[in-house]
Amino acid sequence: MAEITAAIDETGANKLLDTVIALIPPQSASGSDNLGPFLASYSVTASLVNGDVDLIPPDIIRLEELRLNWSLSLSIGIDLSDILPDFCLPQVCVNIPCVGRVCTPRICIDWPTITVPVSFSDFVKADADFRLQTSLVSGNWEARAIIVGVPNLQFGLTTAALLAAIGLALTPILLAIPFIGPFLAIAANTILAAIGIAGLTGLLGPILTPFISGMQIPIYDQPRVFPVLPAQGAVDPQVDILIDAIAASVANSDGEDELVLTADISA
Amino acid sequence: MTMTMNDNMLDSRALGRTDCYAQRFMRPGRYSYNILPSHAAAFNDDRPFMIVVEGGGKDGEKGQKKSGRKPEMVQHNVIVKGTGARFVPDERKLTIAVGDLVLWNGPGAKSSPFAVVGDQDFFDSARLTNECGYSHAFGAPGEYHWKDAYGSKLSGVIKVVDPQCKCEADVHKWRRQLAEGSVVMIADGKAKPEKVEVAVGQTVFFAVVTTKKPISITDERLLDYAAPVC
Repeated sequence: MAEITAAIDETGANKLLDTVIALIPPQSASGSDNLGPFLASYSVTASLVNGDVDLIPPDIIRLEELRLNWSLSLSIGIDLSDILPDFCLPQVCVNIPCVGRVCTPRICIDWPTITVPVSFSDFVKADADFRLQTSLVSGNWEARAIIVGVPNLQFGLTTAALLAAIGLALTPILLAIPFIGPFLAIAANTILAAIGIAGLTGLLGPILTPFISGMQIPIYDQPRVFPVLPAQGAVDPQVDILIDAIAASVANSDGEDELVLTADISA
Repeated sequence: MTMTMNDNMLDSRALGRTDCYAQRFMRPGRYSYNILPSHAAAFNDDRPFMIVVEGGGKDGEKGQKKSGRKPEMVQHNVIVKGTGARFVPDERKLTIAVGDLVLWNGPGAKSSPFAVVGDQDFFDSARLTNECGYSHAFGAPGEYHWKDAYGSKLSGVIKVVDPQCKCEADVHKWRRQLAEGSVVMIADGKAKPEKVEVAVGQTVFFAVVTTKKPISITDERLLDYAAPVC
């Protein structure tokens, strides 16, 4: 039987995890990926906000409505030649009095590549199951909650709002391009359609999921050897206790699920 | 090839992709010239390209007497190819008849704006004199107030309107409009008409018949930032 046993119920576990998650600093990532047919480079910062804790025996901590607040800086490169038809100014002929007819040649122009920067912040929610795990790492006993599998992120209206933000960023950039005026609506609609909700989900999912799927929640961290009595003199040295084993589990006690930490010690 | 803002700059001294410079040659002779980055004529005296103007004189007069009217002007187009600051015409030596017109156009957006610079005073796209012209296709809506960068009183306004295309039929209609050009005649220090209204993408041809001094057609907003020229 374990020499030390500590247990907290779901209310206590909620408070504990609130505190622990609040101490996890915001995480950042950057890279590039396809956004529909376009290449987007991004940097994203995300921070976790605790959800409701449900303890499930024998070793699962379920966080319901775990919330990830994220802030995304996106830069989308779009070669307009890929989406708009080639454009040519036709030959233009004018009659110059006393001179005659003068004609300009047909002049064809390809569309440029544009860069659309978008900043966007929102949150996603997920239900996530964590399994309890203890280990001795470099002389320290650690108890952690490790995520089980990859949860599905619920994007809801986020993607539609991001699509609208891209549309807003797009218009002034397109307006600065010579000759695009008459194609403006076509260009904007084509770009937004090419990205689409699926394109945004396809981008956001892989970017944001690792913030949760790689998540570890530290629950307990203790050196294997720790002093319980300080030294009182040359003949009365410090007294240390050795933690031989630590286990974390979820147990049901009198109908109440509890997070239980047990330790075996020796002197 | 990619568009840049140069495609939308109204300045006869700096020819962009949607600009043309036209020059009529009224006397026989050999007219050597170069194509240089705009505003760089003073840095280069090489004139590697040539317009050879033949005929006129007896032949021209004879032909005129026979038919009872002037021989028709023939237009020759020269396509300028450019990379960076180097420009080359598709025909290094072009032979034409007296009274013919040569029109230069090009290059792509990967090049700087350019100027056609001849040995003779009348033959210079940056300094329009007589029997020449400059055309520009306007790429964005707005009012373009133009002036002569060399300080004469010459000026005018081109109002460019958005065709407001809302459906495919509008785009078709607008594209048909693009083939219609407008002319501004410049003679004796005056531009007629002074104000022209066109749609985005339409071309205005500035025909310079006579001027006492060389002129330019330059968006006045460019003159607000550029150093005075002489």
